[in-house]
Order: sequence, then C-alpha cells, then structure tokens
Amino acid sequence: MKTQIISGPIGVDHPSVKRVLGIAEEIMRKNKILNIENLYNLAKKRLKIPRNGLLSIIQFLINKKILIEGSKFSKETVLSNYIRNGIYNYIRIHPGVHFSILRKKALPEEKGSSGQLVWHLEMLLKFNYIKKIKVGNYTVFLPFDIDEKVGKILFILRDRINYKVIQLLFKEKTVVKPEIYKEIEEKREDVYYRINNLIDQDIIILSASSDKDICINPNIKNLFTDILKTSNLNIERK
Amino acid sequence: MVLNWNIEVILDLIFSSVLLITTIISYTSPKTKNITSLFFLRLSFVFVGLFMFFDGVSILFLNKLISRISGLLLFPLAIFVIIGINYTIKENFYSIGLILVFGLGILLVYLGLQPGAVGISKDIGYPRTDWRGLFNIMGMLFSAIGSFYLLYWGARTFLNAPFLIKKDASLLFLGVMIASLFGMLFYLLYIFETFFILLSNFSMIIGLLIFTIAIIREPKLLYIFPFTVYRIVVKDREGHPLFDHDWSESNISETIFTGFLNAVQLMSEEVMHIGGLLDINLEEGILILKESERITVGLVASKSSKLLRDSVVSFTTDFEQKFDRELKTSIEDMPAYESAYELIEKHFSNFPYKILKSKKQPLLLTGKFIKIPQELDNKLRSVFTDEKEYEAVKAELIKSPLSIPSEFLKSYNEMQEELRQISGEDVKYLDTESNLDE
Repeated sequence: MKTQIISGPIGVDHPSVKRVLGIAEEIMRKNKILNIENLYNLAKKRLKIPRNGLLSIIQFLINKKILIEGSKFSKETVLSNYIRNGIYNYIRIHPGVHFSILRKKALPEEKGSSGQLVWHLEMLLKFNYIKKIKVGNYTVFLPFDIDEKVGKILFILRDRINYKVIQLLFKEKTVVKPEIYKEIEEKREDVYYRINNLIDQDIIILSASSDKDICINPNIKNLFTDILKTSNLNIERK
Repeated sequence: MVLNWNIEVILDLIFSSVLLITTIISYTSPKTKNITSLFFLRLSFVFVGLFMFFDGVSILFLNKLISRISGLLLFPLAIFVIIGINYTIKENFYSIGLILVFGLGILLVYLGLQPGAVGISKDIGYPRTDWRGLFNIMGMLFSAIGSFYLLYWGARTFLNAPFLIKKDASLLFLGVMIASLFGMLFYLLYIFETFFILLSNFSMIIGLLIFTIAIIREPKLLYIFPFTVYRIVVKDREGHPLFDHDWSESNISETIFTGFLNAVQLMSEEVMHIGGLLDINLEEGILILKESERITVGLVASKSSKLLRDSVVSFTTDFEQKFDRELKTSIEDMPAYESAYELIEKHFSNFPYKILKSKKQPLLLTGKFIKIPQELDNKLRSVFTDEKEYEAVKAELIKSPLSIPSEFLKSYNEMQEELRQISGEDVKYLDTESNLDE
C-alpha cells in the first residue's frame, strides 16, 4: 500500500484526507454506523480515489487516532468512562445524594466542572442507571431501582439535623416541638426550619393530643425503620 | 534432422518464456526486489520455467537425456519452494520437510540416471518423451511436494491475512489453488490420459502468473507470518515523544514500553554507545532500540529479525536527516514530525497493518475532528471552558443518543438555577458542610 498513489505526502491537511474525514463526519451526523466498509464505499463513490490510496488514508486516520475503534453508546458501554462509572458508584453507595455533594465527592480531584458532572448524570439518566427526583427545591439522584418515596427519605436523612430529629422521634415517639433543638443541641432556627419542612413533606405530623407535640407519620414509620436498618444505604455513619 | 513440433512443445516453450519474463519483472519491481523469501520463491519459479523449457525441448528433439534433466530439475525446484515458504513463515530456511526432500532428491537423481528411466511414446497422437517406472513416480511425488507446500502456505496466508490485504491474499490464494490444486489434479489424470499434461502445465503457468501479480501488488503478503510489528516510537534525547506509529495492537503496556525507552536513554552511555542498536527481550515480544546523536527509536515486534533491525537503522538515519532543522532547534511538538509517516512507508512498507480487523469494525471520529452545529458548539463552549473537557464531551456527543445535547443543556441550566436558589435561602435545608456523607 503506497501513499504515492495520492499526490503529495499524506497528512491531516491533505485535501483527500480532509474529504474522507468530511465523509466520516457526514455518516456519523446522519446517525448511521461508521465502519470501514461504509466509509470506504461512500468515499470511493464520491472521491474516485484508487482502492489502495483510500485504504492508506483510512489507515492513516486510524493510526493518528483520528478515527478510533468504537461504536455508539449502549447500556453496557456507557459505563466505560471511568469518571461516569465513579459517579454512578457514588450514587449507588449514597442514594439520594444531591448535585452539590456529587460535585464535591464524586468527581476526581481537579478533574471536573459542574458541566461535566451534569453531562455524566444525563448519560446515566438516559441509560436508566439512575433517576432524579425533586425534593422541595432540591434535585436528588438515586439508583434506578430505588423507589422515589424511599429516595426522598434517604435525601432527608442525609441532612445531619434532620437525621438527629428523626432519631429523637424514633426514640421518644412524641416530642414537644420547642424542646427538640435543646435535645439535639442545634440552633433553634435551623431545627424549626427543618421541622416545618418535614411537616410539609408529611414525614412528621403534629400529634393528635397537642399541636406542640410532633411525631413521625405512622404511615411511613415502617419505611423509615427499614431504611434506618439497611446499613448498605450508607447513611448511618454518625 | 526433423523437429518434432506439436502443441505440447509450443505450449511448454511459451509457458517457460512467460514464466521467466514474469520472474525477471518481479525481480526488477522495486517493491519486491530485495525480499529474501521472494528471492527463493523466484528461484523456484525459474526452475519451473527451466523444467518446462527442458521438457519442451526434450519432446522437440525426442531427446531422452534432456528429458532426464527436466525431471532432475524438480529437485532444486522443490528445495527452493520449501526454502522460500519456510522463510516467509519463520524467517529461517530449515525444516524437517527440507531435510526429507533433500534425501528424496538424491533418490530422484539416482533413479533419473538409471537406464530406462525415460522412454518415447505416442499416446496422444504425436511422439513424446516420458518418464518411466520409479523415476516417473518420484517425479510426480516431487511435483506434489512443491504443490502441497505452496497450497499449505497459500491457505495459511489467506486465512491469516489482515483485512487491509485480504483482497490481495484472495488473489494469491486463487493463483496457488490453480497452480497447485488444479495443476496436480490434471497431473494425476495424466496417468490415465496423456492429454491432461497440457492442462496441468496450463494450470501451473496461469496459477503462478496470478501468484506473481498478487505478490508484486502486495509484498506484505510475504510478511504475515515471520513476525508481527507492533509499534515504533521516536523520542528526542530528553525523552520527549516526537513520533509514534502503530501496526498492530500490542499486549505490551504503554508504561513498560516508555519505561524501557526512558531507562535505556538514561543509561545509554553504559549500555550502548551512540549509534548502537540494542535488542531487549520482553515477555510479549522484543524491543529494538536505536540510539543516535539526537534521537532514540524504539520498535516493538513479536520477535527480533535482521530485516527489522536494518529497517530501524535506516529509518533512524532518514528521520534525523529529514527533521534536521527541527531537531537542531529542539522542536518538541509531535505534529512537526507528522510527515515521518512517509519514512514508515519507505522503510516498513512490507509489514502488514493489523489494526483494522474487519470491514465491519465500528469506528468513531475523535472529538477534535467532529464538526457540530455552531449554535450547539457555542453553548457547549460556554459550559466547558476547559479545552480538554470540551473535547472529551464532544467525542462522547457523537456516540450519544440524539436527544442528549438538548437534555444536557436543559439540565445544566436547571441545575445552575437550583444552586442559585439554594444559595439564596436563609437556612440551608441541606447542610452540605456537615452532610452525613462527610
């Protein structure tokens, strides 16, 4: 196979190489499979370059890693990107995680922007590895097979103060609302804000006996118990 | 003296002339001139030509001595076929088959010198010389050995030929099939009907012609077996990579490869003098290193070979000459040395590429060379300010479902808005600093 078949030395700036590249790009843009056969046939038809010359160009493009071996993403291959794989593993181990935490924890050090994180999350969403739910103003991410209701609770439990409040309510059954911040030794306004949120989310309810007493919503208490017992959800570190 | 002109004589003389001319052409072709294995195969073709010439002349003059000589020519013919094929397979002359054929050859010579080994018959309407008895059987055996070797090698070459030269390998195999399989088939039929000797000769000549054309078109066919060339790397004396080129995928890891190059560069004064050549045996192959005044060239192949070493040396010399200015001014940019591709074609043109495995092998364009709509490109550039990140995402874009870009941009904007909203809240619902994941 000789490059002399094409006039001038072969290189990225060679007109024939540029034209073959253009054809490769066109095939991909039309969402067709790019392989040697398709590229060769189309280029041969359009450019009328001799067989050996055309194969030389394709070989050159592969050698210079301009054309690389690979195909469109599939469910199996989408995780071949190690950063994406890392993000997916993080979500799997920490279901109900928020974007801001992923940004800090799931990207390799100094190796990713928010844009990159959104890109990878979008790919994981597209291929049904994860799903996202909205809890209040927060978008949180879960492995695809985790129920949304569970995901919501997991997200809530990721907050340190929420976690303390829930733990207390589990222990005491019913607690007087103004006493909670003292019990868990946190700022009053922070605790009140969270209690109101938990009430809004129907996680806790006002007790029937007094509007100052609160307790966990009995309808989801069992779910909470299960989640708190499930150590592999990785939320019981403290 | 009346000459015994007949169709067989005419065909024999035409065939031998064609074969000798073809052999001379293949010798003058610059692509195939210096290939050692082809030198031996070419010699065997010369002997096929001589065999046909002597066969024709023996019938023309009805001369038994010349007929004996034609039979004896099968001995060197078979020897050179075997040597040529051994050389293409393992870059070595020797094989048990060669020794056996050598032994049988002595027997052939002995039988050929016996009285009554050649006679004159009139089986196909004209008088012709033919071999008799054991000499005839041995002659057929030698023809069969040559044919078998050729067929075996042709089939192996066809089956193992990389995709890029498969078409030429098919042509070669076709030639081998016609020359050996059909040639032998007609030769066997000749036992029953003398006429088939004409068809046998005809098949042989056509097959060998096709064979020669295939080899002249693609000499890489002769280098499929002896070794696999994986890659070549050129570095300057400071260790900066200047050029690399791949022929095949290698099991030798990049780290080991560059590690060796760097290590050898560091201790080159002790291990090898400037201008020296070094072979390092690796588990997966061999690393041939050539150290010159300004560059180090490393070539990885499955095994060492004089041909490869010579090619590395001449490549190194040409590389230094071609990029003299760049090397003197210590230019380290790889694109400046891109045209070294021509030197690869010059010095390694006979080694087949094995990176392309099949015509159905899926390919992708790398990010740098993908053109995307300007509007989308602008948006992506505003999101990814880091060029490397941008290229990486662009490369993935082409492999992704069509809806991904729009969904990504929507999600990105939503996420930005969400973060803005959260940061504006008086009390952080999600206490990220003390999150349970900490």
